[in-house]
Amino acid sequence: MIRGRLLTILCAIGLMLGGYASGNALEGVLEVRSAYVNIDKGVFLLYARVEYPESPAIRDALRDGITLTFDLQARVDRDRRFWFNAGIVDLTLRRELTYHAVSDRYVVRDTKSGDQTTYATLDEALSYLGHIDGWPILVEPQLNGGNYNISVRAGVRRGHLTSSMRAIMFWTDDWARTSEWYTWSLPV
Amino acid sequence: MVTPGIGKRPPRRLRWLAAGQVLLWSGIGLGAFLLLAQSVQNSAEFGRLQLWILLVDACAVIALSVLLARKLWRLVRDYRAHVPGSRLTARTVGIFGALVIVPLLIVYVSSLEFINQGIDSWFKVEVKEGLNDALGLSRAALDLRMREYSERTVALAELLAGSEPATIQSRLDAERRTSQALEIALFGQHGRILGASLENPFETLPSQPPSDLVRQLEQRLPYVSLEPQSGGRYLIRTGAVLPHTPAGHEPRYVVAVYPVPEQLAALTEAVQNSYNEYGNLAAMRQPLKYSFRLTLTLVVLLTMLAAIYLAIYSAQRLVRPVQDLIEGTRAVGKGDFATRLPLPSRDEMGFLVHSFNDMTKRLRRARAEATLSQQAVERERTRLAIILARLSTGVLAIDRSLTVRTANEAAGAILGTDLSAATGRALPELAANNERLGQFVAALAVRFAAGREEWREQLDLDGASGRRTLMCACTSLPGEDAGVGFVIVFDDITALLQAQRDAAWGEVARRLAHEIKNPLTPIQLSAERMRRRLSAGMSEQNAEILERGTRTIVQQVETMQAMVNAFSEYARAPEMHITRFSLNQLVAEVADLYRSQDPRTQIRLQLDEAIEAIEADRGRVRQILNNLVTNALEALDGVGSPRLEITTQLEHGGDAEYAAVSVCDNGPGFQRELLGRVFDPYVTSKPKGTGLGLAIVKKIIEEHGGRIDADNRPEGGARVRVVLPVKDSTRSATGGARERREQLRRERA
Repeated sequence: MIRGRLLTILCAIGLMLGGYASGNALEGVLEVRSAYVNIDKGVFLLYARVEYPESPAIRDALRDGITLTFDLQARVDRDRRFWFNAGIVDLTLRRELTYHAVSDRYVVRDTKSGDQTTYATLDEALSYLGHIDGWPILVEPQLNGGNYNISVRAGVRRGHLTSSMRAIMFWTDDWARTSEWYTWSLPV
Repeated sequence: MVTPGIGKRPPRRLRWLAAGQVLLWSGIGLGAFLLLAQSVQNSAEFGRLQLWILLVDACAVIALSVLLARKLWRLVRDYRAHVPGSRLTARTVGIFGALVIVPLLIVYVSSLEFINQGIDSWFKVEVKEGLNDALGLSRAALDLRMREYSERTVALAELLAGSEPATIQSRLDAERRTSQALEIALFGQHGRILGASLENPFETLPSQPPSDLVRQLEQRLPYVSLEPQSGGRYLIRTGAVLPHTPAGHEPRYVVAVYPVPEQLAALTEAVQNSYNEYGNLAAMRQPLKYSFRLTLTLVVLLTMLAAIYLAIYSAQRLVRPVQDLIEGTRAVGKGDFATRLPLPSRDEMGFLVHSFNDMTKRLRRARAEATLSQQAVERERTRLAIILARLSTGVLAIDRSLTVRTANEAAGAILGTDLSAATGRALPELAANNERLGQFVAALAVRFAAGREEWREQLDLDGASGRRTLMCACTSLPGEDAGVGFVIVFDDITALLQAQRDAAWGEVARRLAHEIKNPLTPIQLSAERMRRRLSAGMSEQNAEILERGTRTIVQQVETMQAMVNAFSEYARAPEMHITRFSLNQLVAEVADLYRSQDPRTQIRLQLDEAIEAIEADRGRVRQILNNLVTNALEALDGVGSPRLEITTQLEHGGDAEYAAVSVCDNGPGFQRELLGRVFDPYVTSKPKGTGLGLAIVKKIIEEHGGRIDADNRPEGGARVRVVLPVKDSTRSATGGARERREQLRRERA
């Protein structure tokens, strides 16, 4: 009898704590469609086409003032026969998308350089975000023979959350998604 | 001394460790509370600290859960095992737990509601509306300027439409200067630049028109947009298609970029930033609630677990003195008076424990005194037992049912039975195979049945070894219930009486020798003289009468002289001539002598070769043997197949050696009534003889320091057993025979 009451209380606490859980707000396709690198004067330039999800929920959220962060993570690994692959490069291209309510335009800002561009529609902004052309990720001196793999993946999440908040919300945050890795061998 | 198992405490180091843990986790819990209270007022601080708060709380909850589970498991185990104090502990924990948990739950539910309402208050509708209003105001302010720039651009397009190509550049420059635009450019088809006026002299090309501008102008609609720039700057981009484009000519459009005044741009940026911050904050409303709920739940859980743990800890501390008391009481119940309990405090419980310790101390002291008393009693009892054991007087303690309670060795020896294991057994039962003891028990029973509890009498007990005379004194045991027990003290005075008789007979003999023997000779001489003197002058008849009379006198005098001589022999204590001779050889000589005299009797010898020689008066020992064999042969008169058996045997008594000679026959044996007195003078069953034979034998043996017994054999016949010391020194040491002989001689002289 005491055990039953304890179970009831625990269930109530669980429901109370888990009440926030709901479906993922970033529904839609999120994937790296294609990616390749070009070598220009010893610099490996990444070209990728990423499809980011677009939904009314995203649009409404942006119009309510939230910021979305778009990460493109590129990783270069060197194969090792009897051990884990060696990481050569691990870069993240981070950009933020906000809706500028006064101008009624979507603003894409590079968090590293601070450069920003505006777009009249969300489609244009997402299209811009999905076109990565000539992102330098590697220089030839970093390569030292062997086989190399390049992996690219894209992620979208709600921005302006502290890391601690993200840490505690990792299992209930429906405003964070990451695509599968898009991997290919580096043509050395 | 604290009894092991009672008041058992963990070592001091562990106690300090446990206290440190409690303080540590209490501090952590309190710190988490403070951090939570601080972070509630500052969301940014909360975001920074929340992870640490949660980590600390989670660790504390896990640690406390483990500790609490351990405590609860032990509590349940003790409860089921009915460990003393466990039920009181469980009840106290239940009360403490309820007193803590219920208010905590109330506070928890209230705090949840408070958190929900507090966070919701951050996102009031008024704030949202205010932001929207500010947004609208900014738009309105910029719309006026944008409309103005758009109309100016449309007018410029109409002006350029009617201008000659050569004047277009000058018009663009003039318009840029007039309107203070940053750049004005004229584009042709596919974005081809037909002319441009730029404010920045270092730039050669105007900015690329955005795609939405191109799309809108393709529809021949004027375009205007506000473009936020990095650094908080704003630009207004306008566009207009040049009207009246002749057929076959490419469509042209003009694009102008105007700056927004810095003040307006700053205000607009501020409004936009606020809007975005509010939007981001509003998006965090639910996660914030969730985080606060989680944190609060963890802290409450931590507090609750800590409270329950402390409740158990406090209850155990509170109950521990009671447990100690229970254990102590049990230990005292088992007789462990060395129990001392640790003083828990100076309160009422401490007073109780102190009283318990005082009680056990008194009990211990009392038991020590009782032990000493008991030891003293035991010592006295042992001493008394030794005394009783060494007493030649028999002491027998019995109850009314004649059950033996105590008996000393002398009692057994006197009564002819072993009473060492008779304690607790009934005397009638012990007397089943002992005639003498049976007579003794019967005498006791008769007196007890008559209600006599205090008496002193002489009892004569007949047995196979003769009559024994006991002097008995009975009294009820003091200190016992009335009539429950008696102690009977008795002494075998047979030897004493015998000695008295011997002394009396000796006196008689001495007197006879002295008083009677002396007149006999004159009587005899006088009678003979009378016969000699008077017989010549008398008639024959008178002479014959005189002759017969004097002869009778002489004969009787001689008879009396023989009797007196025998008495004299009995009373005489002659000088003994101690020599060393072979007893076996002497026995064999005597046996051979009598074999030749009476060949009918079968005389069998059984001689112990261990007896080499004894130190004694050979002549008197021969006299002893002659007397004994003569008596035996006389007793065998009329027996069908007379047998006489003489045995010698070496015996050991203490450090001395004794030679025992037994003379047994298969005759009728001693008469039962005479058995105790066969060594008295004139006690005889024979028609002739002086009756002094055995008396003299006994006297000789006693003079040698030996002893003689007479009894009847179970298979029939008499048995006389003589025990003589092998060495003369033995008889001197044990009996002082020589001195006694001298004394006797002096007395009789």
